[in-house]
Amino acid sequence: MSLQQIDAKLLSRMFLAGAKNLERKKEWINELNVFPVPDGDTGTNMTMTIMSAAKEISALGDGIDMRSLSKAVSGGSLRGARGNSGVILSQLLRGFTKRIQEEEQLTISVMVESFEKAVETAYKAVMKPKEGTILTVARGAADKAKELYENGVTDMESFLADVLEHAKYVLSQTPEMLPVLKQAGVVDSGGQGLIEVMTGALDAFLGKEVDFTVSADAGAGTISSRRQNADEPVDIKFGYCTEFIIMLSKTFNIKAEMDFKAYLESIGDSIVCVADEDIVKVHVHTNDPGLAIQKALKYGALSNMKIDNMRLEHQEKLFRMSAGKGTAAAGTEAADMKKADIDKASGTAAELPPKEFGFIAVSVGEGMNEIFRSLGVDYIIEGGQTMNPSTADILEAVDKVNAKTVFVLPNNKNIILAANQAAELTADKDLFVIPTKTIPQGITAVINFVPELSADENEANMIREIKNVCSGEVTYAVRDTVIDDKEIRKGDYMGIGDDGILAVGTDIRGVAKDTIAGMMTEEAELISIYYGSDVNGEEAEAFSALVAESYPDCDIELQYGGQPIYYYVISVE
Amino acid sequence: MPEIAIVTDSNSGITQEAGRKLGIHVLPMPFMINEDTFYEDIDLTQEEFYEKLASGANIGTSQPSPESVMNLWDTLLKEYDEVVHIPMSSGLSGSCQSAMILAEEYKGKVQVVNNQRISVTQRQSCLDAKLLAEKGMNAKQIREFLEADKFNSSIYIMLDTLYYLKKGGRITPAAAAIGTMLRLKPVLQIQGDKLDAFAKARTTNQGKSIMMNAIKSDIESRFGGMTEDKHIWLQIAHTANLEAAQEYRREIEAVFPGYDIHIDALSLSVACHIGPGALAFACCRKIEG
Repeated sequence: MSLQQIDAKLLSRMFLAGAKNLERKKEWINELNVFPVPDGDTGTNMTMTIMSAAKEISALGDGIDMRSLSKAVSGGSLRGARGNSGVILSQLLRGFTKRIQEEEQLTISVMVESFEKAVETAYKAVMKPKEGTILTVARGAADKAKELYENGVTDMESFLADVLEHAKYVLSQTPEMLPVLKQAGVVDSGGQGLIEVMTGALDAFLGKEVDFTVSADAGAGTISSRRQNADEPVDIKFGYCTEFIIMLSKTFNIKAEMDFKAYLESIGDSIVCVADEDIVKVHVHTNDPGLAIQKALKYGALSNMKIDNMRLEHQEKLFRMSAGKGTAAAGTEAADMKKADIDKASGTAAELPPKEFGFIAVSVGEGMNEIFRSLGVDYIIEGGQTMNPSTADILEAVDKVNAKTVFVLPNNKNIILAANQAAELTADKDLFVIPTKTIPQGITAVINFVPELSADENEANMIREIKNVCSGEVTYAVRDTVIDDKEIRKGDYMGIGDDGILAVGTDIRGVAKDTIAGMMTEEAELISIYYGSDVNGEEAEAFSALVAESYPDCDIELQYGGQPIYYYVISVE
Repeated sequence: MPEIAIVTDSNSGITQEAGRKLGIHVLPMPFMINEDTFYEDIDLTQEEFYEKLASGANIGTSQPSPESVMNLWDTLLKEYDEVVHIPMSSGLSGSCQSAMILAEEYKGKVQVVNNQRISVTQRQSCLDAKLLAEKGMNAKQIREFLEADKFNSSIYIMLDTLYYLKKGGRITPAAAAIGTMLRLKPVLQIQGDKLDAFAKARTTNQGKSIMMNAIKSDIESRFGGMTEDKHIWLQIAHTANLEAAQEYRREIEAVFPGYDIHIDALSLSVACHIGPGALAFACCRKIEG
């Protein structure tokens, strides 16, 4: 007779095992993406989402109960959510934990209800739910759970095993529901991710020795390669990362600033102290945060206070390192983010005066970023094509923009849901997510902003105008596949339009030209070409001249975008 | 009932000929082109002006001379009891200020209207003044009426290029911020006062759509909405861009069916700051509902 109920401790182990199992299969899931583009990876996104929750669970320690566990899972995954599958996963977890938080033990009947709640919550979060995706797999699992319960199944082990078995079956059927999957010869990657989480959780329930060894390449995704210092040993001399803002009630002149900095240096390191007219932003690593706070209080009241025990975080990291290299990489994400925080703080923390409207754009490439800035975007979240920002990244950006109303331009279809989630979590500002799926749509949106109109009018105008611009992107294929009846070989160049593949070939210029041909409309007036970091200026000029020759009625505008991976980003309007 | 003469300047877009037909007296605006003085619609046609502009000639604007203004008033006052003088916006030119000073000599017989209109909306003010005079108002009452009505108009202008705005130094700080890496067609606005930045577009169609929405929004929020009685005048103005203006009229008619739409060339003193190829959309609330 095996275990019939699940308590908070076991559930947290199941959860962590699920997270780890997903992490382990990350690269493999990335390979399941339908579009063979080198970006927007489902496995990476889901893993980073769930690792954000796992981190919060680890922080709970021994005093864990169902309520604190629920809060950790729900809050952690919500903030860490990246990419569409990540957001849906976070919503599944949120729904699931909403139901279980009042319980001491999970019985089969509670499980059935919480599965239902999970599915209901996730479906609600997606504007147009599509079948043949992670949603379908989740619903299949929930339906099966209900059926088993109604059929009188009382054994938890066989209950969980049967639910998983059925979920796997539903996953195997996803190609029958979504033709793109069938053509590409894959199952849905998000659904596969969910299966991995469930599999890990069942293994933990069964008390199986969970295999934490990770294959060498598991961590070699875009994320870990960007965080190469993850494995470096860290000698933590000062244990508390302490941050706060002083709202000055006394003058804080150069001398005061130097005195204050000198004091911080006497009690810690990694000091950032940026003074504006009426605030000072302070960051210090110290063993006695109280001293820093005491000193700061002499200058005014404090706000946005945050103190983290870095030794504990480091221990978690070491724990994860022993569990696997990839996990360690994901675990240091938080630390790296803080570093990024500081970098930003030293550069731009001087809080800008408040304004009515602010803009946040997700962008990549120095040229692109500069274009967005010159159009009045206040804050750029680096990422998008190579790395989807999380809900937390977006929230952090929102925090930095001192405006009553903030417009967010995700500029990638895989970031819109995370941005929507950020909008729901923002209470102190009005957040409008303009669902821009491409960079050209983002540029069109911000150009069409009119400061004198209301936020609602602007939203309506921007949403209307982004439909009037055709976007195209030229990149390369990372594997062989078939999409839209076009056979694509690894290394081929491909042009992707708003509705699918426009061109495939081995000649980059030809592919780019065919891409534009596929985007042209009768009314087109302007073709904008943003060339990436892998295209040299001369080639771009030559290509632009060629386009001008082909379309004498259109203006052609060539700009340096500097984006990686995408040789050309093109718009026709 | 006093006999009232209505005077305006050529910025109203009212030509000498149209003025004679409407019974409105039009002062020609002087232009200095390469040191020589020309008068709008007297010895300088629209075509000649744009030719000179395109050839890179140095074009300066000026006010009508005090002498020409007073001569006109004196002549008119032999025939009429009072004069209502409607100059271009005091936000764009000193003409209004000068006229007000000159009018002090005329003991209330000349009323200078400071209602900050320009081009098609200035033209509408002249027509309104004419109507009010026919209804029996005296010059002072007309001035007060038009000044109270001054913000019941709105103009949006899409420029084809930023070149002339920059060259003329007429860019307000907000408009200057429009200058970016991308080629943009700025949409400016005149709300009684200066030329100011309003929005930006990448293509003509986008710009037209921005102006259309802006006028719609103004009508809804400021001018009492689109009602059955169609109490709004709609106007299109352009700089050497008549074909586009006519095409725009058809598009506007589709959105505002049954409305009066007047097309005019934008006055040259505005044109010389924004260059050819511009298109403007304006509206005025009709007086007395």
